[in-house]
Amino acid sequence: MLTELVRQDQLANDLANASTPGYKTDRSAQSTFGELLLSNSATAQPIGSLGLGVQIAETKTDMSQGPVKQTGEPLDVALQGPGFLVVKTATGTAYTRDGQLAVDANGGLMTSTGLPVLDAQGAPINVAGHASDLQIAPDGTIRGGGKTLGKLAIASLTTPSKLGDNLFTGTAGAAPAGTTVQQGALESSDIDAARVMVDMITSLRAYESSQRVIHSIDETLSRGIDSAGGMS
Amino acid sequence: MPEGIYAAAAGMAAQQAQLDAVSNDIANVNTAGYKSERLGFHDLVYQAEMGAPVGAGAAPIDLGRTTAAGSLNDTGNPLDVAIVGAGYFQVKRADGTTALTRNGQFQVDGNGSIVTQTGERLVPPITLPKGTDPSTVTIASDGQVTAGGAAIGKISIVDVTNPGGLLSVGNNLFAATASSGAPAAARGSTLQQGAIESSNVDLASAMTDMIEAQRGFQFASRMIATQSQLLDDANQLVR
Repeated sequence: MLTELVRQDQLANDLANASTPGYKTDRSAQSTFGELLLSNSATAQPIGSLGLGVQIAETKTDMSQGPVKQTGEPLDVALQGPGFLVVKTATGTAYTRDGQLAVDANGGLMTSTGLPVLDAQGAPINVAGHASDLQIAPDGTIRGGGKTLGKLAIASLTTPSKLGDNLFTGTAGAAPAGTTVQQGALESSDIDAARVMVDMITSLRAYESSQRVIHSIDETLSRGIDSAGGMS
Repeated sequence: MPEGIYAAAAGMAAQQAQLDAVSNDIANVNTAGYKSERLGFHDLVYQAEMGAPVGAGAAPIDLGRTTAAGSLNDTGNPLDVAIVGAGYFQVKRADGTTALTRNGQFQVDGNGSIVTQTGERLVPPITLPKGTDPSTVTIASDGQVTAGGAAIGKISIVDVTNPGGLLSVGNNLFAATASSGAPAAARGSTLQQGAIESSNVDLASAMTDMIEAQRGFQFASRMIATQSQLLDDANQLVR
């Protein structure tokens, strides 16, 4: 029952992020706890094995590409391919696929949550005066008013894990081959609503079955106590 | 345990914000100089539940307005002016503060000053000499205003570093904030007399955005019902 609760909570989070750009779905795999071998304590004759239920073996974030939606906004970029944009946080470097960018009062390029977006040298990018006429090439080069203003860093990420605020952390590597930047578009959340609904129903039913099992065990115990009490 | 129910509720609130933004856009489909709202979303903190990371839902972020130009409508009215390119007209509100707008449907008030539809004067002010017929006013592409052959002022076009940081104050007016930066003369933008910039709201994409937000809202509310069922089942354990 408890693992199904965790699964439901993850599904709730997935659905809540149906509109979050660059959001990636979480999937949990379950595995059984180690089974115990029961044996008769007097004769040492084996009786059989006893399972102790299930646990969550691992949670994998599904990194598949979300659908790309055209917005026409010069500060919206969608990453096509497995790379990540690199941003600076208070505690270090983080990675995101949310390309809904903005500009701060000094012209610094930042994410929608206000974190500076970095170039390949790890420096922030300044686009002062060009917020509305920016041109971002597929390789991430940013031009405004005929001048090159910087180039978006694109990094690959092994073992990505989520930090919230559309950020990921993990082991970063060089830009993965074939990742391009598309200006004027956003990568939508990759959640598949139909699949989440089906998972939700399946998980709910599994949870209910577990609940019935607990009931049956409760009743068995109750009858055992009653009949044991009746014998004396 | 009830994390999921709150995550779903946060999702509903986020979709509600999107619905509100789209409704406002649709209501302003005919407002001159209107720019549709730009809303972002982000996921919330993750914490471990039985070793698995579980997120707390989603939240909306206000990213200001979109920048796409609306189409220019010829009106032939000499006091209708559209900005071609980035930037805003600068006007003075009744409370004395300066505001920015892209709505160039101007008129002349009792003192001969050029004002917006809602009565805000241009900054710097431009006043027509007494007895000038407004239909003889010409406005050059650089903003130079001439009435009866005499130059009477210049309409300035200003822009800010981060238009997304402007604060909408109603009446199609925006106020500069610390995050938008102070207004400065816009580069490369021109004026076109006798035209207004129509709203940049694209009804078709606004409708699809609305349907998407509605469905997202429904999914999240289904999730709350399911979470409620889970709690109910847990309660049934003890009879």
